[in-house]
Amino acid sequence: MMTVLILAGELDELLELRTVADQIGAQDVEALVPDALVDGDTLSSLGLKRVYLLEGFEETPPEELVKIVIDLVKKRGHGLVVGPSKKIYRELFARTAQNLSSPCLTDCTSLESVEGSLVAERPFLGGGYVERLAIKRLPALLTIQLMGRRPQTREKGSLEMVRLGRLSTEDLRLRRVAVEKVERRGADLAKARVVVSVGRGFKRREDLKMAEDLAQLLGAELACSRPIASDLGWMPEEKHVGLSGKWISPQLYIAIGISGQVQHMVGVRNSRIIVAVNNDTSAPIHREADYSVPLDLYQFIPALIKVLRERGARVA
Amino acid sequence: MHVFVKQVPDISTLEYDPSTLAPRLEKATPRLGESDLVALEAALRIKESWGGEVVVLSAGDGLNELVLREALAMGADRCFYVSDPILSRADAWVTANILSRLSKKAGGADLLLCGEASSDSGNYQLGPRLSEAMGIPCITHAVSVELDGKVVRVRRSLEDRTEILESEAPLIITASLELASPRLPSLLMIKAASKKPMTRVDISELGLEKDLLEPLVERLSVRVLKTARRNIVLDGGPLECAERLVESLVREGVLRA
Ligand SMILES: Cc1cc2nc3c(=O)[nH]c(=O)nc-3n(C[C@H](O)[C@H](O)[C@H](O)COP(=O)(O)OP(=O)(O)OC[C@H]3O[C@@H](n4cnc5c(N)ncnc54)[C@H](O)[C@@H]3O)c2cc1C
Ligand SMILES: Nc1ncnc2c1ncn2[C@@H]1O[C@H](COP(=O)(O)O)[C@@H](O)[C@H]1O
Repeated sequence: MMTVLILAGELDELLELRTVADQIGAQDVEALVPDALVDGDTLSSLGLKRVYLLEGFEETPPEELVKIVIDLVKKRGHGLVVGPSKKIYRELFARTAQNLSSPCLTDCTSLESVEGSLVAERPFLGGGYVERLAIKRLPALLTIQLMGRRPQTREKGSLEMVRLGRLSTEDLRLRRVAVEKVERRGADLAKARVVVSVGRGFKRREDLKMAEDLAQLLGAELACSRPIASDLGWMPEEKHVGLSGKWISPQLYIAIGISGQVQHMVGVRNSRIIVAVNNDTSAPIHREADYSVPLDLYQFIPALIKVLRERGARVA
Repeated sequence: MHVFVKQVPDISTLEYDPSTLAPRLEKATPRLGESDLVALEAALRIKESWGGEVVVLSAGDGLNELVLREALAMGADRCFYVSDPILSRADAWVTANILSRLSKKAGGADLLLCGEASSDSGNYQLGPRLSEAMGIPCITHAVSVELDGKVVRVRRSLEDRTEILESEAPLIITASLELASPRLPSLLMIKAASKKPMTRVDISELGLEKDLLEPLVERLSVRVLKTARRNIVLDGGPLECAERLVESLVREGVLRA
């Protein structure tokens, strides 16, 4: 029977990754989490056999974590290691995989066991396609694209907690001279029912206020395209949706001033209703929207706010 | 400096077969990957400010020399490449094994740069895998790179933090799309590129043991993703459109008014 090791820095990640182990019918599931995550009640109802607690987990760089993970996998013989699709985990898993002569698949959207072998799906060609891959050797390391899956509830079981000491595995060839934390804002995009998302159609940072007002009125979360976060730094990186960012599935996604490139759309494809506000009628987003508003956002958004206020419209 | 560039299908012109839903890769226009070109641009700027030679390395099946020459036209000095059918089945493991040996074959380098993710597979793996295979430290997702004497200073951006790291050579860096905007080569540069040396290396020259060339993952199929949308265009002025949109969303049950 296959043993699975889940790596997660947050409880939500752990919960979602637990469902992946269920999908392949794994019996023996262990987790490596930050020691700050200890929440005995939740952990013991996840059907985990063992939880390793690591002090300073999320701050430990991948080139150091790799030694801890290799050690664990070798000792415990895990067939599968899963973690969330985030930069640190992708790097950690690629390193571990190279070291163990193992496969590593990033950003997996599904995993199943087909006639005894593992088959995963992941985005391909910018996200407009999906590739289906058979895993030929274990252990395999997979980062999973988080999409808000929730595990079944279970009886509380017995759980062994193992505290891992911080190993002194520092790579002296790399010096971290500064670390700047980005402050968390708003709720988790994956759970939002309505998301208002901004793109480069906004000319100045101050103009995002309009989108914030709209989001507030609708009780929506604010998201953005990659350039708004990464090129312009107007929003935190964790708010960008798409291939390299968050994958979301709200009831309503309102894309404002976003062109709708495939790398963006893959992250919002599962939205129930997509509204596009873009004054270029040839922008690709119009082909992937339920409702297209081919107007200047600077005229339309204030009008929409006005109508919503007048009608006292709220999210149902 | 070594820069790894991958020849990939141009996604913007890619079509799919409506019966199988598979991409028509054989009809796609080949190009070099987006973040690979960003890595190349970063290397060229380092060369312009601090000197050095820029060598591009590539591996693929049926590589098109003209496409690789685009990297030379941007300003790279030389190119080493492996073109072999084995690469049509290569996964991140095989690719890393081939490219680490190709880099050695090309004489090694102080700075090795690649994209954070290839434009077709988007594995995010080559840099970290090379790091383990070659025993050279790696800094992923660079958004700026500076040289300060012998010290390379890199700013990297993660989801929840930015970090500044320093290291001496040798060092591997993976380029975030935001690190630099790739230059468009001038006609003069394109002409000059036709005379720059390109070395085709046969895979057998790399001395790779059999298991280093055996993929650990097999692609079973590729299919296009399609979501049916209603494509309702709202016309009229801003207020009219807003009224219509709110009405529609109320009807859809997502808003209450
Ligand atoms: C490997 C890779 C990964 C990527 N990952 C992601 C990702 O995860 N997420 C992501 O978003 N992108 C990603 N991208 C980038 C993506 O390809 C696009 O470049 C990006 O999504 C474009 O952002 P945008 O739509 O905000 O900007 P643009 O493409 O510049 O579009 C701006 C739009 O605003 C419209 N506009 C301008 N003015 C107005 C106005 N006054 N009123 C209304 N509309 C207006 C314009 O018509 C235009 O369509 C990735 C790219 C690569 C190569
Ligand atoms: N076959 C290849 N030849 C040359 N460079 C490659 C190849 N595959 C990947 N790379 C480089 O490695 C980066 C990351 O690729 P990947 O690990 O596939 O996401 C790319 O952006 C390229 O710079």
